[in-house]
Formats: sequence, structure tokens, C-alpha cells
Amino acid sequence: MVQFWTDHFNIDPSKGDCKWLKIADDRDVVRKHALGTFPDLLKASARSPAMLWYLDGRVNRKQRADEKPNENYARELLELHTLGVNSGYTQEDVMEVARCLTGWTIQETGRSRFAIGSIEFKPHLHDRGDKVVLGQKIEGFSKDLAWDEQKRRGSAELDRVLEIIALHEHTANYIATKLCRRFISDEPPASAVATVAEWFRETDGDIRQTLRSLFHTDEFKAARGGKLKRPFNFVVSALRATNAKTDGGKRVTDYLMRMGHSPFQYPTPDGYPEEAGPWLGTLLWRWNFAVRLASGQLHGTKVDVESLRRSFETKRHAAAALFGRTPERSEIEELRDSDEPLALALASPGFQMC
Amino acid sequence: MADQEAILSSNGDDPRALVVVFLRGGADGLNMVAPFGDDGYRKARPRIALGTEDSIKLDEFYRLNSLLKGLEPAWNEGDLAMIHACGSEDETRSHFEAQDLMEHGGMTAGGWLGRFLRFKDRPADGGLAAIALSKGMPESLRGAPAATAMGSINEFTLGPGNEGVQKSLSRLYSDHGGLLEKPARDTLRALERVDDLRNGDYEPANGAKYSWDPFAKAMAQTARLIKARVGVEAVTIDNGGWDSHLSQGPIMNPRMTRLGDGLGAFHQDLGKDMKNVTVLVLTEFGRRVSENSAFGTDHGRGGVMFVLGKDIQGGKIHGDWPGLSDDVLEGPGDLPVVTNYRDVLAPVLKRHGAGKGMNKIFPDYDLNPLDILS
Repeated sequence: MVQFWTDHFNIDPSKGDCKWLKIADDRDVVRKHALGTFPDLLKASARSPAMLWYLDGRVNRKQRADEKPNENYARELLELHTLGVNSGYTQEDVMEVARCLTGWTIQETGRSRFAIGSIEFKPHLHDRGDKVVLGQKIEGFSKDLAWDEQKRRGSAELDRVLEIIALHEHTANYIATKLCRRFISDEPPASAVATVAEWFRETDGDIRQTLRSLFHTDEFKAARGGKLKRPFNFVVSALRATNAKTDGGKRVTDYLMRMGHSPFQYPTPDGYPEEAGPWLGTLLWRWNFAVRLASGQLHGTKVDVESLRRSFETKRHAAAALFGRTPERSEIEELRDSDEPLALALASPGFQMC
Repeated sequence: MADQEAILSSNGDDPRALVVVFLRGGADGLNMVAPFGDDGYRKARPRIALGTEDSIKLDEFYRLNSLLKGLEPAWNEGDLAMIHACGSEDETRSHFEAQDLMEHGGMTAGGWLGRFLRFKDRPADGGLAAIALSKGMPESLRGAPAATAMGSINEFTLGPGNEGVQKSLSRLYSDHGGLLEKPARDTLRALERVDDLRNGDYEPANGAKYSWDPFAKAMAQTARLIKARVGVEAVTIDNGGWDSHLSQGPIMNPRMTRLGDGLGAFHQDLGKDMKNVTVLVLTEFGRRVSENSAFGTDHGRGGVMFVLGKDIQGGKIHGDWPGLSDDVLEGPGDLPVVTNYRDVLAPVLKRHGAGKGMNKIFPDYDLNPLDILS
């Protein structure tokens, strides 16, 4: 799920200060809440300095009457993080959400060097007027209130916006669709999506419970072997299946780059694609990796082929373990006759799918 | 989804390839393409300015350094456009900052070439779509859907003794059917072509001769990969060492000779195939207009950029010349940037199929594309 949420709340560290801040985002947002609740995850992401940098929230302000808010984060918040594209919100809503989010900045200089990079709400950069988000009124506040009270109100306003959208019906559908695409099929069956969405709402976005409902659907049980592993999953599953000792160093990450799936390198906020289409051109490097791994030519990574061989009684058992299903007769024959059965098994279609 | 056959094997209906040569260190545009018609040029460089004897007339105003004479045939055929007073908005004059901006294409994520390959109308996601002929992966390719830093062609193959594995894979994927069947067939064909490539010596066409320096070898390898039609859509080549603070002659002269000869040989070798290929030559900034006390030049702003290809307004120097008078020069005495490099890249990327992806390639810049295509 870390991978799933990393794509869902994608941040490319190559943009400005994200190169320092994404590390904290990974620890404090994605990993911390990966199996927590969606509203908590969303809240953490909205207050993540890396996200504020990546989607320009830090420059979203209204100091003068004629200043227009920067809509970038507000739009992606609705389109990619919660409701889903063209789904129950209008351009008006995007602008209203952007107004609600004005004034959140990142400390670039500070009283203490340790505060640099933390987020801060600045009431004087906030649009204090009333707003309406998805039909719900959010009341503004006066600039005559005490400074700390204004800070409190601004923070409450952000929480209110997230509350409106985090468990919205469209959000439930959108997250359920993405989860089903990840775990069932590139074209998620509507019945499974409906069940998962219902559970998402029912449990107030409890990610664990939502996943449990997904894994109980008949569609999930019937879906074995129908999805193409993305390159990262292919490489990791090959290393795990062979019990490889690896330094995870450049020789391995080079393969991820060749297949366009290096960690934290996706440039736009939508994250690496989940469906098979964009990854169909990666077979060349999958095969290459399989051969190099099996023949000990991958510097920094070792596979003990002998002990691997001993751990399986027959090639049929080995193939069943690698493919996660009963191997076809043709698969067993090819593996039996091959001089390089391990390389062949890892490069074969059975091992590309999950 | 992209047509895998066109991408991986024959390049089918779209054999276009983009070659990006980055001159690292800040190449001195003023002594590559000298503004002879501007009195300020020789005044600012009394000792290192080009004379008529070591330059070739390009037009009534500019002369080309004779060391770049390898470019003359391309220029005469109208296949070479040059853009002067060109560069980025970076004013730090720092190699790191300026290269970073030029390769990323703005305060945005990924590199411009990576974004181009990912977001163009047909994403370049074939196994060999983008190849970096450099030690590491250049920042410009960051975020590409497939990018390979290549030491040698040998890396591509499954290695000797694996013919059996290939045959088995061919049978297994065809039995398996489904969405992997066709990509597997294309990949096997690409592997065959790569094997041919490895095993034969390379014979450049049209009498072209590459010399033995690393840049010429990189250009020859690029030509070879493009001709092999294994689906190469972009190649990046690093050409370093242009930082000529002192005695710039001994530093720059051999580099210019190699640059001109390498590009010239490539142009001759590809011949008619140049219609599908564009070579872009970039540098992070130009150099100070005035020479320094050590017969060198310091970091400046505007530089020169080359576009080599067919169907361009070649044989011409593009971009307005701002002049070299004191009121024009910027900061410590630098040629201002009149043409932003993105406005040169944009029309080229458009020709290479950027399509609707253009707004994602340069998201934070209002394009005003230079009219360099014909």
C-alpha cells in the first residue's frame, strides 16, 4: 500500500525543495498512514511540506484584493486525491477550495534553523471571506480577531474542507475503483467497486477494513494471474522468489530506470500508471534482468541457485511457486528441457503476471 | 496505447529520432559563430577574436570558426540552423544552476526530454526508446518512460549462449497469448537486430568518416542505432570541457574540431535519413563578451545553439542580434539572452510528435516558438 499511496499522492523530488522534503513525506504521510484511515492520510498529505511545494500551495495567497489564488493543489486535491476527475465538482468548487487553502506557506527562513521546511499558516495571506464548497458553507473570520485565534480558524477551515471531501460518495467510488484496478483487474468490475466503496464509507475510510472487503469479493478470488506486474514489482518479486542477497544498488536500480519505473521519478501528480498498457515495452529489460540475475552477472546481487534447486522437489513445484498457480504443461516442458531453467522461468509470461 | 511494433522493431510509421548534444561548461558562442559585423566584437576581444583567415563567411554579419568547418556541407545544404544570443533565464552564471534549469526546463518535475517522451501523442515506452551515451543519466531524461544509460551495445542482448532461452520464450509467449504476445514478438525481433548490430562492423554510408575521439564514436553509435531501427526515439550525448577561463584556444580548439567533424560525419552518414532525425546542440550559457587577462572568457549569458536536420530554415542564423554596446550588455558585460532555448526546442519537439503533450513539457513557460521549421 506504500506504493499505492505513493502514486496516489505523487510527489517528484526533482522539483525544487521536494528533494529534501519528500523524504519526510514518505515517512510521516505515506508510510505512517498507509494502513490507517483515509481521512488521516489526506490530512497529513495536505499539511505535508513536500506537497505544499510540489503543487505550489506555498505560493497560494491572497494579500491584496486583486490577487488570484493558485489553484494547482486545490484542483489536484479534488481531481486526483479525492473525488476523481469530472466527478461531482465544478470549476467554482476548485476556486473556492483554493481560497480556503490560501495562506499556508513553508518557512524558508526562521527563528530556528530547525524550523526551516516546516509549514505555517499566515493569516494575513489568507482569504478570510465566506466560501461555499460542494454546496456547504464555510464561514470566514475577521482580521480583527487575535492572531492565534486567526491561526486556529485557518487550520479549522482546512480541516473542514478535507472533511467535506474525504468521505464523499465520489471519493469512495474513486478510491474503490483505484484499489480494484490495483488488486483485481485493469478494468475493475463494477460489482466489486460498489462493495468496496460501500465499505470505505461504512468504516469512515478505514484502509485495512476497505482492503479486507476487497479481498473477500468473488471478483478478487477469480482474478489470479490476470494483471501485469509493474517493473518495480517484477524486479522485487524476482529478487524475493530467488531468495537473492542484494545491495539494491545501481545495477538493480538501473533496470528500473530502463523500464521507466524508478522510485520517486514520476514527473506529474497522477503517479505511475497502474494498467498494463504503458508497461508493455519493458519485456526486453525484464528478460535481460532474469538472465543476468540467474547467471550471477548482476554485480551486488547473488542467487544461490543450488540451494534454490534443492528447496524444490521438481521443476513443476518450482514453477508453481514462481507463478503462484498450477503451471501449464507447455511451461513444464520448456523448463524441463532448458539449460537455463531459472532465467527462463523468471523471463516467462507466467512470472510477469500476478 | 502506443503501437508496440512501430516502437520496438521497425520503427514502422514513425522513425523519428531526436539527438541532444549538451556542451557542458558553457561553450563560447561568440568564437564559434562570430558576429563579425559588430565592431564591439573585436574591440572586446583584442587578442582572441577570430580573424578572416581563421573563419568562414556565413552571411554578411556572421562568420563561422574554421575549426567547425565540418559543419559547412550541412550549412550549405540548408540542413543547419544556428540560433545566437540564445539561452535560459538563469542569471546565476553557475554551471550547476544553469544546467539544472536547462535540463529540467523550469521549476517543474522531471526533465524536458523525459516529459516529452512520456507525454507526446504516442509515448516512447519501447525498451530502447531513449538512450544516454554518457556516464550517468542526464537530468533532461528524468521522468522518461524508458531510459537506458548505455556503456555498450552488448548490454542490450541476453548474452551469448542464451539462444535456447530466446527460443523457449518465443514459444511460451505465443502459447500464453493475451496482451504480452505481440510485445514479446517485437522484443524478439529487436533482439535479433541488436545481435546483428553487435556482430557486424559498422560501415558508415555516403563516404562518411568518423574519427576516433569519444564524440565521433558517440555520433557513429547513434547513427548505427538509428539505422538499426530498434525503436530509438531519443539519444543524449554529453560533450564536456567547454569551461574556458584561461588560454581558451588550447581548450576550445580541439573540442570545436571534434564537434564540427562529428556532427558533419553524422549528417553525411545519415544522408536522406536525416529527414527523420534532428540533432540539437545546447550549452548552459555563453561566455563573457570581453576576454579576460588570461586569454580566456568567463561565464556569461547568451550563447549559440544548433539545430541540424531536414525541412528546417537552415543556412540561416536565427534570433535577433542585440548588439554589443555597453547599454545592451547585461551584468558584468554579457550578451543578453534574446531567444529562450525552449522556444527553439518547442518547434522541434512539435515536429517529433509532442502534440497535445506540449503543455506538460514546458508547463510553467509561455511558449513563443521560434520560426525555424520550413
